[in-house]
Amino acid sequence: MPKAFSSIINIAKYTIADEVRQRSFIVMFVISVIFVFLIRGCYQGNYMINGQDLDAEAIVGTVSKITFHIIAVVVMLIAALLSMRVFKRDRDEGMQSCIFSKPITRKQYITGKILGLWALSSIFMFILHAIIFLTVFIKLNVVMPGYLAASLLCSFNLLFVVIAILLLSLMMPDIAAFLCVMGIAIVSFVADGIFSMSHHPLVHMQSGWTGWEIIYYLWPKISGTQHFASSFIGSEGSQGFLYIYPFINVTIYCLILGVLLFWRFRNEDII
Amino acid sequence: MPDQSTYIFSMIELNAVTKRYGSLAAVDNVSFSVKAGEYFALLGPNGAGKTTIVKMLLDFTQPTSGSLSINSISSTNAASRAAVGYLAENFHIPPYLSGWQYLQRCAELLNINRSDAREQCRRIVESIGMQGREHTKSGTYSSGMIQRFGLGAALVGKPKLLILDEPVSGLDPIGIREIRQLLESLKNQGMTIFLNSHLLSEVEKICDNAAIINRGKLLVKDKISALVKEGDSLEDVFVRYVKG
Repeated sequence: MPKAFSSIINIAKYTIADEVRQRSFIVMFVISVIFVFLIRGCYQGNYMINGQDLDAEAIVGTVSKITFHIIAVVVMLIAALLSMRVFKRDRDEGMQSCIFSKPITRKQYITGKILGLWALSSIFMFILHAIIFLTVFIKLNVVMPGYLAASLLCSFNLLFVVIAILLLSLMMPDIAAFLCVMGIAIVSFVADGIFSMSHHPLVHMQSGWTGWEIIYYLWPKISGTQHFASSFIGSEGSQGFLYIYPFINVTIYCLILGVLLFWRFRNEDII
Repeated sequence: MPDQSTYIFSMIELNAVTKRYGSLAAVDNVSFSVKAGEYFALLGPNGAGKTTIVKMLLDFTQPTSGSLSINSISSTNAASRAAVGYLAENFHIPPYLSGWQYLQRCAELLNINRSDAREQCRRIVESIGMQGREHTKSGTYSSGMIQRFGLGAALVGKPKLLILDEPVSGLDPIGIREIRQLLESLKNQGMTIFLNSHLLSEVEKICDNAAIINRGKLLVKDKISALVKEGDSLEDVFVRYVKG
């Protein structure tokens, strides 16, 4: 294995190990798992209203989608919490001076940190999604292969959150970085809601591209990526470029913010 | 036939190095070199710029002007730190790691294979006198024990150059003596030592050469035997230079 690559893997490994050792991480994980297990009651197998049987599979699909979105949002919040104190902790505990006194470049360090946090939060989310997947399979004998694929796709949102928090935490207090990124995510969800309402046939729609619409399309499409990922759960088909645009948007944001993070950390003083 | 010292290369070189923080010059046009195998002490009062020089050497911070090199490799190149062991001032070990785990991490970061790392760490734990305590969490260590592990971590990978920033701070007199004996034993292995210390009596016992800086300026650099005249101590010399 090339030395540069093994340094990145080592730093990613330490990042995961150091986070998992934190009591707050264990508490968050246990609470999330308990919450997901509580949902298993929704998968009883038969649903009746006024004595009439409902289409169980359709309801299971809807419930699974809702839980998919809730888990994705909660893990996004957790990824932000995990990322916001990473640099500060490394500085305070002397790990930065330990790492940089070895022949390790700043690019390797940043890459290792991003990979570690991304892998940890993605595994966290995948485990929670896998519990739902297994619950549906065990209780209803229904296999939703798209559920786990959707979880993996949704992890790109986590990558965005990790890189954005790491970058902003170099420029402002950790809590401000956390609030900024959460603000971006909230605006993305609200804007998607308003946009889909304004494009409803019952609502009068202004034709042509307005300034707000341009901002809407350029804004990080966190909500859109989540919806794009969740479309793998059901049987929704492709709807052209706009359908995959949110995913491309978030990927481009990850690349831009990643470059800015490398550039910003290049001149950072190690304490 | 040329003198043998002609072949001794510089392990550390500083060329007209300046570091400014706004209008304040923390290091002002400092140039000197440290030869391989030398035990060198950088002396100065608090805020003189000693730690800034160390941080520039390790590329923790960039100089405003000038250049630094280790082993003839520019300090901006990570490869210059391949054979460097560093003990930071106010050294820390994450409280959830044991001293052993910390040493293992240092070995892994240097890409030392697992069995060699284990053997090296075992020897280091012995040499710093921490057998029996290496597997307990560092949160339970005293500051002296942490300092010993810090020195141990700097020795991982058998470095050619040791950069030690206040290596005996927090140690009791017995600990100071043990560390001094350890540093003296390393001298026989041809290691170069760059020492930042306030403990002038220890510097006088260990080091061959010293430089004194004050307010970022290099005041003097010479052999300790040349600086300290008959009946003087290094402390007298230090006070004389710093007070001007």
